[in-house]
Amino acid sequence: MARAQTVRLEQYTAPVLPSDNVKRLPPSPARSARKVEVPRTSAWRFNLGDKALPWLLPLTLLGLWYLGVERGWLSEQVLPPPAYIYETLSNLVTSGDLWLNASASLQRVIVGFTLGAFIGMALGLAMGLSRTVEDYLLPTFNALVQIPVLGWLPFALLLFGIGETLKYVLIAKAAMVPIALCTLQAFHQAPKGLLEVGRAYGFSRRQSVISIVLPAAIPTLFTGLRLGFTKAWLSLVVVELVASSEGLGYLIVYGRQLFQLDLVMAAVVVVGALGLLIDRGFDYLERRLNRGRPTAGARLS
Amino acid sequence: MSAVMSVGSRNRRYRGWVLPIVGIAVWWLASNQGWSQSGLFVSPEKVAATAWDQIASGKFWRAISASLARNLSGFSIGTTLGLVMGCLLGLSRYFERLVGPSFNTFKQISLFAWIPLISVWFGLGDLAKVVFLSLAALVPVVVNTCDGLRNVPPNLLEVARVYRFTRWQTIIGVMLPAALPSIFTGIYLALVYSWLATIGAEYLLVSGEGIGNTLIDGSEHFMMDLVLFGMVVIGLVGWALNALARTVERRMQRLYGIAPR
Amino acid sequence: MELKFHKGSIAVALAAILAIPLAHADVLRVGVATAGGGDPVTFSGSSLGIVRNQQLLEKAFAGTGTEVQWFFFKGAGPAINEALSNQQLDFAYQGDLPAVVGRSNGLDTKLLAAVGVRSNLYLAVPKGSPLKSVEDLKGKKVAIFRGTNGHLVAINLLAEHGLTERDIKVINLDTGSTQAALVSNGVDAAFGGRELFKLRDQGLIDIIYDNPDQDVRYTRQTALVVRGAYEKEHPDNVQKVVDTLVDAAKWTSEDSHRDAVFAEWAKSNEPAESLRADFKGVSIRDRASPLVDNFLLGRYQAVADQAREEKLIRRPVSIDGWFETSYLQSALKTKGLENYWTPYGPDGKQPAVNAVAAVTSKQGS
Repeated sequence: MARAQTVRLEQYTAPVLPSDNVKRLPPSPARSARKVEVPRTSAWRFNLGDKALPWLLPLTLLGLWYLGVERGWLSEQVLPPPAYIYETLSNLVTSGDLWLNASASLQRVIVGFTLGAFIGMALGLAMGLSRTVEDYLLPTFNALVQIPVLGWLPFALLLFGIGETLKYVLIAKAAMVPIALCTLQAFHQAPKGLLEVGRAYGFSRRQSVISIVLPAAIPTLFTGLRLGFTKAWLSLVVVELVASSEGLGYLIVYGRQLFQLDLVMAAVVVVGALGLLIDRGFDYLERRLNRGRPTAGARLS
Repeated sequence: MSAVMSVGSRNRRYRGWVLPIVGIAVWWLASNQGWSQSGLFVSPEKVAATAWDQIASGKFWRAISASLARNLSGFSIGTTLGLVMGCLLGLSRYFERLVGPSFNTFKQISLFAWIPLISVWFGLGDLAKVVFLSLAALVPVVVNTCDGLRNVPPNLLEVARVYRFTRWQTIIGVMLPAALPSIFTGIYLALVYSWLATIGAEYLLVSGEGIGNTLIDGSEHFMMDLVLFGMVVIGLVGWALNALARTVERRMQRLYGIAPR
Repeated sequence: MELKFHKGSIAVALAAILAIPLAHADVLRVGVATAGGGDPVTFSGSSLGIVRNQQLLEKAFAGTGTEVQWFFFKGAGPAINEALSNQQLDFAYQGDLPAVVGRSNGLDTKLLAAVGVRSNLYLAVPKGSPLKSVEDLKGKKVAIFRGTNGHLVAINLLAEHGLTERDIKVINLDTGSTQAALVSNGVDAAFGGRELFKLRDQGLIDIIYDNPDQDVRYTRQTALVVRGAYEKEHPDNVQKVVDTLVDAAKWTSEDSHRDAVFAEWAKSNEPAESLRADFKGVSIRDRASPLVDNFLLGRYQAVADQAREEKLIRRPVSIDGWFETSYLQSALKTKGLENYWTPYGPDGKQPAVNAVAAVTSKQGS
């Protein structure tokens, strides 16, 4: 090839392409173009329809429920009328019972979750930092993890009796597992490229952990915390169903023993609503934490 | 770092056994020396003896087969329904807007809170337990299938568009295989959750036989050895199901040429 | 070839599915509101337990093509309500409060006869506990089996000593869990039945209240419940069951059979000493009396009224039309046992003046 020559801009002319010996693709077989549907509605109507659609299913179910009770399709013990449940809920609220039981449950779950989070993160940190610790601990940890919270319940019942300790221990155990595993995973997923850069700059082990591993680990850690809280909430209901003297699960048991299905359903609604609220809270926190970050999955390599 | 791994890797695998062996040794020592006077402190030999008695007398086999049978039926029903629903949610935008938010709210409600309602609607027998198990298996399958179908990499979809695939061809040829890892995560979670729910159902819908009932019997008669035996069995089965799911997953990945996550 | 296989297996499956209702065409399901014990599982304290032990129902229905099935419920009365509402039982041995709760929720049932009356409720504490009387329970963790017939008695007892359910921390535990909790010090006190005597004899708990005056307000009753629809469809089966029950009740009430009765009841893994302690100073005849007398009616109405007061039920329950005594009357008449058991007045101690009139006048209430 000739040596590159500088050509002044005015002198530069694009080469003319010969147009007769260019190979062209054979014409593609005729196929009718697929019609792409463009929504014909105006913007605000589309938005309204979009927003209203999620409510269609719950409202239909509610309507069917109301009809079913009115017409007597189902006996009353099997499905109490919706009005009954609403009445029970408002009774609970006005009599202060709801606040009493809900706060007891919330307190238990927060204490248990915090305990579990600490232990889980400590374990995860220990196993992540040191390969030897991981070798010793992880298999036993995995084995103990296989036994669900309910499996631990009789054992813990015999050990701790029926008090707040039992509930804190079981909730902490439920929360600890995903948090520890996610922390460990965060350590394993530390971006290798960045670690190399740290090594090139002569970072000490502590510096590389604090400045590289931990910031990159925050999304995974958060996922772990969120999962841990979901598990903690689940175990809370289970433990309260078995042995408690106040709490939302206690309300469910009370309703069940006295065949008051509306109380059971009201308590289930409250459990669901609280769980939803907390989940939304976590969602919001996660979005705030991830605000300034590159999207998950963006790596240096 | 890799050089160090290959040299000591065999030793490293044995390290995992250190803790359990030391733990059992301390336990045996404690029971031998009588460090604890509590009636609840049983020696390892007693647990082993109980285990042997349970297995030999056939009680264990009856219990475990009852539990596993329920687990299997609930799991299969839940997974099938979950796959159908997950596909619908993932593929049809209308369906997702219609059912999605309600389903999201529904899945927030703690699984075990449904038990009193299920026991009133379906009684206390096996039907109620299978319904509960199907519910437990359904949720993760739906969530993961829907996620997998929605998160198909857009470049794959572009290629399908370039090749002028019809919608059906896109679904079968591109979206489903791409979603397969997610779907497997869902099925794997469903397996775990349905086993958890099996134990829960036996605990809270008490009737019939099962390994959970063995656990409760032990707890009520203060037979700590029976409780520990039950716990070990539950853990082992959980681990076995886990391992099974992972093997199947790896096998399918090799079959379909999907890179392991 | 493949298609044939397909069709064949479908045919087999269909046949199996169709055969199922046929197989269960004639079943008589009896539910018992206790977990029971022993092998085969049975229960103690009432003549129905004798029926179970001696297979009297199976013998009565032998050759008629009706299979008798027994179900034992750890969840006691409340679980029986759930099973009844699902039509999974035909007959039940159920206590007064859960039956009232079921009725108030619209369950269609009929009460046929008494099966075990004047059962006591005991209050127990772990060994070495500082609690010595019912008043000491204030603010403590107490285990009560909610929704069973012991629940209301517990409330009565607490009220007598100036306490309400809100003054104590109630934990709902079933019979087995109560015992476990008491022994492991998980609760400060617990209400329960005669299963607690076994633990007391082992020195693990103390019983601080055992109804020393036999006050009927602190006793609980159990009756034979039948599903309303079943009673209309199979009145002959119902009559047979009541006949069998009356036979067993007579056998149980014979003074000479006292030891044999305890031996039978002990087959449920309940030590005979516990049974003797529970029946101390009480004639078995009174406890096993199947009569629907003023005493029983009075107790059931009192339970219904009190349950409404305590807001355990939301709709008031009246016992009018609930007791269906025609089967009992005809059974007593055919066996000539009209005067065998004493009908008692509402306070449980005074026999009604005119025995026959008292029994026959129960028809309409």
